[in-house]
Amino acid sequence: MHSGGIWGFILRRTLLGLLVLAVVSVLVFAATQALPGDPARAILGRSATPDSLAALRAKLHLDQPVLQQYWNWVSGLVHGDLGDSLANQEPVSTYLKPLIINSGFLVLLSGIISIPLAIAIGVWAAVRRDKAFDVGSSLITLLLAALPEFVVGVVLVVLFATVVVQWLPAVTQVPPGGRPWDDMTGMVLPVATLVIAVTPYVARIMRASMIEVLESDYVEMARLKGLRENTVILRHALPNALGPTFQVIAINLAYLAGGVIVVEYVFNFPGIGGALVGGVSNRDLPVVQALAMLVATVYVVLNLIADIATILVTPRMRTTL
Amino acid sequence: MADTPSQRPEDNDSFSLNRRELLMGAGGVLLAGSLAACGSGSSSSSGTTAAAGTPKRGGNFRLAVTGGGAKDIMDGQSIITKPDQARLMTAFETLLVYDTNYILQPHLAEEVTQNKPDQWTIKLKQGIEFSNGKTLTSDDVVYSLQRILNPKLGLFGTSGFASLKPSGIKKLNSTTVQLNLSYADAGIGEQLGQYYNGIVPVGYEAYPAPQHGTGGYILKSFTPGQQSVHTRNPNYWQSGKPYFDQVTITDFTDATAQVNALEAGQADAMTDLPFSNVPVIKGHAGLSVLVSKTGGWLPLCMAIDLTPFTDNRVREAFRLMVDRPQMVEQVLSGYGTVANDLYSPFDPAYNHSLPQRVQDIEKAKSLLKQAGQDGMTVDLHTTNGAAGMVESANVFATQAQAAGVTINVHNDPNYYGDQYLKLAFSVDFWGTRNYLPQVANGSIPGAPYNETHWPPKSGQGSNFLDLYHQALTQVDESKRIPIIHEMQALEYNYGGYIIPFFNDLVDAYSSKVAGFEPSKGTLNLTSFGNGYTTIWFT
Repeated sequence: MHSGGIWGFILRRTLLGLLVLAVVSVLVFAATQALPGDPARAILGRSATPDSLAALRAKLHLDQPVLQQYWNWVSGLVHGDLGDSLANQEPVSTYLKPLIINSGFLVLLSGIISIPLAIAIGVWAAVRRDKAFDVGSSLITLLLAALPEFVVGVVLVVLFATVVVQWLPAVTQVPPGGRPWDDMTGMVLPVATLVIAVTPYVARIMRASMIEVLESDYVEMARLKGLRENTVILRHALPNALGPTFQVIAINLAYLAGGVIVVEYVFNFPGIGGALVGGVSNRDLPVVQALAMLVATVYVVLNLIADIATILVTPRMRTTL
Repeated sequence: MADTPSQRPEDNDSFSLNRRELLMGAGGVLLAGSLAACGSGSSSSSGTTAAAGTPKRGGNFRLAVTGGGAKDIMDGQSIITKPDQARLMTAFETLLVYDTNYILQPHLAEEVTQNKPDQWTIKLKQGIEFSNGKTLTSDDVVYSLQRILNPKLGLFGTSGFASLKPSGIKKLNSTTVQLNLSYADAGIGEQLGQYYNGIVPVGYEAYPAPQHGTGGYILKSFTPGQQSVHTRNPNYWQSGKPYFDQVTITDFTDATAQVNALEAGQADAMTDLPFSNVPVIKGHAGLSVLVSKTGGWLPLCMAIDLTPFTDNRVREAFRLMVDRPQMVEQVLSGYGTVANDLYSPFDPAYNHSLPQRVQDIEKAKSLLKQAGQDGMTVDLHTTNGAAGMVESANVFATQAQAAGVTINVHNDPNYYGDQYLKLAFSVDFWGTRNYLPQVANGSIPGAPYNETHWPPKSGQGSNFLDLYHQALTQVDESKRIPIIHEMQALEYNYGGYIIPFFNDLVDAYSSKVAGFEPSKGTLNLTSFGNGYTTIWFT
């Protein structure tokens, strides 16, 4: 048996996460190396002379062996130095920081709204199994789960911003130096789109998990003891049903971190999505690498948190540590 | 951008101008001899005919521009993306400008004259100030031209001034500058009218240094890839102008979001409306579409010294296989004009006497048979560069089947790499430009983008370069035009270009904005409202 209790578990999982990130860094580096086109040529344009190409390649360390380039990049990464963007010569961290904050705010807001909403819908549907709410919510969540988020986004724009009524902004505009929360009306449609994209999955898992728990012996026991139904559901069933749901929530939040790209596109939201698309088309490798590592880190961290949370709400698993 | 193959021109929504595109898009007017003295003493700005209503002051003009990204810049003499064009026009002006009919007019200069084939004189208007209050003098003109010529800065204007050396720029007095060229060049005037050859104050540097131009607006804030804000220059030299209190320029990576912003009232105008959205915008009360007939073209380029195009019968057969009206319909959704394998339609020297070529499959077949090339197969290279390049190739490939020719279309993301200009058959793009400057860029040995390897070393057309030099040094227009007509006839009969159409620029704007009108030039939205000085909120 393992030892060290919950702290030992966290330590082991953190080390494992770091290992995963190390492997990801190799893959990201290899993948960006494989992007077609020469970054030096892409930057200098067609009028590049052999001399200026050579000078820029040296500046970007493109003339060094691949292993050396990888080492330079990774050691910079560890020290928080992401390099300079090839497109605008700014440090990548300076360039990406406001965009990460913007996207982070979008994801956070979507998560804060969609997760409690999804849990409530799932629990209520399970409790009212096969009744009108369950059937109705199942139908709607299945339907929405089948829609890609850009379709949801476009439909919301048509309904609320352009064709039907013009109550809300169709695109999120953030003035230079501003933040998306300066004008929350611009956040409504992007957040609604992400909420609609995420809620159905989590709600369906929550419902299934809750139904399983509600059919279990200990819930039966609690009811036989004469506990009130609310107590049975909230104190006995819900914590046990949440365990499996945490994993789905983590995956969906992580998906949000990558999936915002599409939503940002629809709403012209100034976030990491545009930076990633622009980075790829500009062959701006430091930006692409930084964002790929960021998304990978979000995945690893969220999974770690989900695992810990699952254990904390599942006494049975806690004791096996 | 090579990530999504586009089915229609409007899908090509990632707009990024590379150095080449700028050269391609650079309009040009031959300004020579007697035409050169364009200083009529007129003080009005160019390009505006009186639009309905009296201009009113005030408001924040919000412009949605296609493309842009981290590489956005602000420089009075350079651009990388389309939002950079929109931004440059807020603050910087040129000595001469093109009006909406593509005719050069004086702007910061009172007069620009070609004294001799190899000498030009610039005389500045009096009393013009930069937005920081500094008076515009010949020192600024000298600095601006020297900056353009500095090869280290990699500015777009550099190649257009190949005949000018820094030592040839001479200040005569505080308002007069003389340009002594290394060789005869009648094209200097039109270079001075290119929007990217802006006049900047002595000591000027690109953003993040202060951006003080003579234009209507002063840069207030700028986040590359997102937005820039420009406030009214109260000191602007054209009295009463500009009309807006503020101009806000926003980048859009996606054309649909751009259209949505316009429809939702979050933008007052947008560049490059996708053709498929035109009916929607037209049917929308309060929004208008601006269609500008430009001289932009997407040629199919046959290299005359590479097989199978060494035989002019094959080149002629290929030109006869094209159904031009169908190309306009299918590639441009009708937003274009049928062309006749010749460029520079707005040049006064354009040869209208050459018969319009029409599809003639039977003749094409017989020519190919004579050349021993019937049933041939050839590769056609293209890329998602300018909107319509891939579609042109595909439509032509379909049309060629009727003549028994198999065209294999290669859509190559790295098209503008090492193989560019070395291909036998390829698609390319160019903007509005007059004839001689266009020849200098694409149709003589040493031209930077000579896709067709024209002219031939021997046989028909081999005298083309001689004719070009004759035209360049001929200051008398009545003698120059016949020479140019002869050059065009050679290209029409023996050249390597198939030019099916000239494409339109299609923009959209809110009916709250007055002053937009169709323009033949390279820039969108009436050259961005002539630097946002001839448009206003009604």
